[in-house]
Amino acid sequence: MSDINYWEPENLTDAVSILADRADQVRALAGGTDLLVKMKKGLTNWKGIVNLKGLTELKGFIYEGQTISIGALTQISALIDNPLLSLHFPALVDAARSLGTPQVRNLATVGGNLCNASPAADVALVLLMYEARLLIMGPNGSRQVSIQEFYVGPGQTVLQQGEILTAIEIDLPPLNSKGVFFKHGKRKSHEIALVNVAVLLTPHPGRKQIAQARIAVGSVASTQLRIKDAEDSLTNSLATLSAFEQAAELVKEAVNPIDDVRSTASYRKQMVGVLTRRALVEAWGEEL
Amino acid sequence: MKMSISLLINGETYQVNVPHKKTLLDVLREDLALTGTKKGCDSGECGACTVLMDGKPVNSCIVLAVDAVGKQITTIEGIGGITELDPIQEALVAHGAIQCGYCTPGIVMTAKALLDSNPHPTESQVREGITGNLCRCTGYVKIVEAIMDVSRR
Ligand SMILES: Cc1cc2nc3c(=O)[nH]c(=O)nc-3n(C[C@H](O)[C@H](O)[C@H](O)COP(=O)(O)OP(=O)(O)OC[C@H]3O[C@@H](n4cnc5c(N)ncnc54)[C@H](O)[C@@H]3O)c2cc1C
Ligand code: FES
Ligand code: FES
Repeated sequence: MSDINYWEPENLTDAVSILADRADQVRALAGGTDLLVKMKKGLTNWKGIVNLKGLTELKGFIYEGQTISIGALTQISALIDNPLLSLHFPALVDAARSLGTPQVRNLATVGGNLCNASPAADVALVLLMYEARLLIMGPNGSRQVSIQEFYVGPGQTVLQQGEILTAIEIDLPPLNSKGVFFKHGKRKSHEIALVNVAVLLTPHPGRKQIAQARIAVGSVASTQLRIKDAEDSLTNSLATLSAFEQAAELVKEAVNPIDDVRSTASYRKQMVGVLTRRALVEAWGEEL
Repeated sequence: MKMSISLLINGETYQVNVPHKKTLLDVLREDLALTGTKKGCDSGECGACTVLMDGKPVNSCIVLAVDAVGKQITTIEGIGGITELDPIQEALVAHGAIQCGYCTPGIVMTAKALLDSNPHPTESQVREGITGNLCRCTGYVKIVEAIMDVSRR
């Protein structure tokens, strides 16, 4: 096995320029839990690694008004340990808890979960539901994209050569809203999702009608999706089991899963409906 | 391409010349003869290769050795020996929680980190804590009992 080149830039500017200059030849390394597994399986043809570990400014949380900014290099385990996230973004913490194992969570980063662009990614799915903004630095300066625009296909994002994801911003969800993350796998823990779902429901004052619904689903299409038809069907409607069932049907119609080693397309389609309904019931949180 | 690095392992500094691609696990086992750390799946799944990095358990098979520079690494060799077992090791022996023993160094490291950060975990916290350590022999019950036993001391 031939060896690879290796860089450890001390700042963002250097990291960007090394990545930009070497074009297709090199990859950024964050926690390595996706990158190294791929490298060992021989699935890669690149020849160098740019370790981002020196970019300590990309790690941790910044709070500003209604917004929390999560550094791209923040470890998944740090999400679980953050009491403010548990309070305001419980679905994000649930997704973090469900990701891999304690050992993997101590290595894996939030940015890596997004940039790897797996349709099954757990933390990334909840960030889609929370409508994250992604901050990117590249050879031509910084830019921002909404998470909805970030994915191009499985394993593919809008990141251009030399671009590094630096931070993920999320706004506090509407008052009285509740977010829920559900994941379906073969085992209870340590499992990549066969299907995963993140929803958020905001009630109208008085709590009979739904003011706003958000539904994000994973592992059922080439990228993770928000299902607008299903969300719209719930806006201003009464919160009833049949409304949630109808929304779940619309989700099933909108997705396009595949058969693979973990599951079949038809099972995934069935389960995304079941999971959506359950998540909506849980997010409403009262007797229906 | 090789790189000369120094690694801080169990309080000692080791100077090694390693290919960039080599994992911490392979350097521990092949270059430093610290073979207490085991290789199971070599892909982050099984936990046999668990070591502590700055006190936290990680899979050393998916960490590059060059990436471990500047971190405090603790391996099973830094925990206890035949003459002075760590309480976790004693409890695993006493509870019959070891059969083939292949998973044991990883279990000890994970349990150590768990109890260091949370000395009195609930049983479900212990179960959750060892989800990243697969054991093909014991069925986990005795492992969980052993860790709970240490937490009550
Ligand atoms: C045993 C095991 C279990 C797992 N279980 C789960 C699971 O349950 N759920 C789940 O979602 N994932 C799971 N994963 C996958 C993985 O752990 C996550 O996707 C993780 O968040 C990846 O982060 P990382 O920092 O390790 O990424 P890396 O492997 O370092 O990088 C992944 C990719 O993103 C790029 N990249 C990383 N950071 C940046 C950045 N800041 N800017 C630009 N590009 C970047 C890299 O170049 C690479 O292509 C598992 C992995 C393992 C090994
Ligand atoms: S050998 Fe590292 S997790 Fe299995
Ligand atoms: S004792 Fe054999 S794998 Fe655990």
